[in-house]
Amino acid sequence: MDMLLEALFSILTLEGLVTILAGVTAGLFIGALPGLTATMALAVLLPFTFTMSPLQGLMALGAVYMGAIYGGAFTAILINTPGTPSSIATTFDGYPMARQGRAYEALAAATIASVVGGIIGVTFLLLLAPPLARLAVVFGPAEMFWVALLGLTLVASLSSGSLLKGLLGGCIGMLLSTIGVSPIGGETRFIFGIPALQGGIELIVALIGLFVVPELISMAAQGRGALPASGKLEGGAGSAIMRMGRHIFGKPVNLIRSCIIGQIIAIIPGAGGNVTSLVAYNEARRFSRDPSSFGKGNVDGVIASESSNNVMVAGSMVPLLTLGIPGAPPDAIILGVLLMHGLRPGLDLFTETGVLTNGFILSMGFAAMFLLPVGLLGGRLIHRVVVKTPFYFLLPSIAMVTILGTYALRNSMTDVFIMLLLGSAGYFLRLIGIQAAPIVLGMILGVIAEKGYVQTMLTAVVDPIPWLRLVANPLSIVLACLVALSVATTLLPGWLERSGRMAKVDPDEEKPS
Amino acid sequence: MTLRLNTDFAAGLFGLLFAAVLWFPREGMGRLSIIFPRAILVITVALSLALIVKAFTRPAAREITIEGSPRRLVIMIAILFAWWYAIDLLGFLVATAFVFFGLTWYLASVEGAVSMRRLAQWVPIIAVLIGVFYLAFTQVLNVRLPSGIWS
Repeated sequence: MDMLLEALFSILTLEGLVTILAGVTAGLFIGALPGLTATMALAVLLPFTFTMSPLQGLMALGAVYMGAIYGGAFTAILINTPGTPSSIATTFDGYPMARQGRAYEALAAATIASVVGGIIGVTFLLLLAPPLARLAVVFGPAEMFWVALLGLTLVASLSSGSLLKGLLGGCIGMLLSTIGVSPIGGETRFIFGIPALQGGIELIVALIGLFVVPELISMAAQGRGALPASGKLEGGAGSAIMRMGRHIFGKPVNLIRSCIIGQIIAIIPGAGGNVTSLVAYNEARRFSRDPSSFGKGNVDGVIASESSNNVMVAGSMVPLLTLGIPGAPPDAIILGVLLMHGLRPGLDLFTETGVLTNGFILSMGFAAMFLLPVGLLGGRLIHRVVVKTPFYFLLPSIAMVTILGTYALRNSMTDVFIMLLLGSAGYFLRLIGIQAAPIVLGMILGVIAEKGYVQTMLTAVVDPIPWLRLVANPLSIVLACLVALSVATTLLPGWLERSGRMAKVDPDEEKPS
Repeated sequence: MTLRLNTDFAAGLFGLLFAAVLWFPREGMGRLSIIFPRAILVITVALSLALIVKAFTRPAAREITIEGSPRRLVIMIAILFAWWYAIDLLGFLVATAFVFFGLTWYLASVEGAVSMRRLAQWVPIIAVLIGVFYLAFTQVLNVRLPSGIWS
């Protein structure tokens, strides 16, 4: 307790608070640019922390991380472009809300959800780091396989009309993820003699291509901007914030469930924020009284995605600070900074250098709180820019930023070509009913599922029935049951409706408030 | 513009073609490398065949609608690829200056003829936009942007 208080006082200085504010703002704007991820934001701003004290440096990086993950929601909502992979699920309902003239409501909901998620993540980290860390190590390859499959059941939610086409999209995504060097065998696959493909198709390249390019093509064909110009706020910005606040805290179940999902997935190394937000979105839809409104502008989808991905920021620090295992790519950079300052991850970090560690954790809580003013002001500014800019300036500007962002990932013009190719194909695939979301989901989870499956099969080569190793321990059995339950709850209502055993529910009869 | 197209058939055919492209190069790969993609390829083929069967038994939409001008759609795709090619050839700054200006003019002309005066007014705006992003990426983010024939 003494250490916690000492850490709190060391943050509550003008220098400390300014560092957090600057970190959140910088992270927010970098995260809002398509192609620039939280990892890149941390990597770019890392050299600036070399001259700072260890605590100040860690505070700055924690704030940048929090700001960047949240910043991805801005472009996700305003131009259907996830700024970071963690905000993919935010586009599903955020952009439809924006197209309905409710952009600021979506931004306000994303901000409030991010703040709450960030604070809850920090609280979990402060109170439950050691027991949660023990949970992290029980997730082996078989469990990771089931976690990936659990995420893949989301395809049913994202299929919008045809489950077959959604599943086909998911398979296409998984096959795209296998291009390049095999994660287990080490051989190159499906590169067709093109050396640039050895590194595979970068997720963010596909993400930008499949989400941004079809939107750009569509905007050009229709001669329109990203948002309707008549997006006037009913009752002003303050009223929208209050309305969203009342909605979120009036029915807190969605928020609490998403935060718990975010925390559990965050501690699993390798899962990352993109999986977190997708699973939370899926569960929000499944438990909703009006699941058909998801994907058409239901604010609960935005809340689920944004709260869970911000829980992940602090949540992924659990395995990092206690076991030295980075839960997500940006954590690897923070691990490097810890080691640079001579801090070894482990439980000693909370005792011998407790002031520093607790200070770092508390600073992330402050960063989450700073998201509220910075996000609401920044959101208003960016919203105005997107609405007021003539489409003939906006469209080339977005195209330029996406080209720059894609190129900057690996300094590769081939990536830019792949992005344009996937984007153009994505536009036509959308016309025939294969949406971008299942393809991206397949790409994210395909890698995790493959690693889990092949590693499990490798460990079971001497077993008479190798695949039984996938359900060889209680946790993997529980996860397998969850997958089965998830598939059943998704398919059962449709089957009952078709067989006439359940009356068809008209989605317009009952809308969420 | 509305086109007559059985979307189930089109999606199934696309799935089969995509699977075929990846099916043939899989020969010669080790078991550990092919076990997962092979399983997904089989599932892809099964789903595609199911869609093709559905196309003839219980088809979904039989037409697709392209909103807006199909000509602008094709031109936009062509411009994006031309932009990519021009960056490799002329470098980021020169290529982007030309394409950005040209694209802005083309899109603005949707609303009516663009006067020379308006075009002249855009020059500083576009220069600032490109300049800010160029400096942000090269100076702040330390990204070496392609310089094409000027390197």
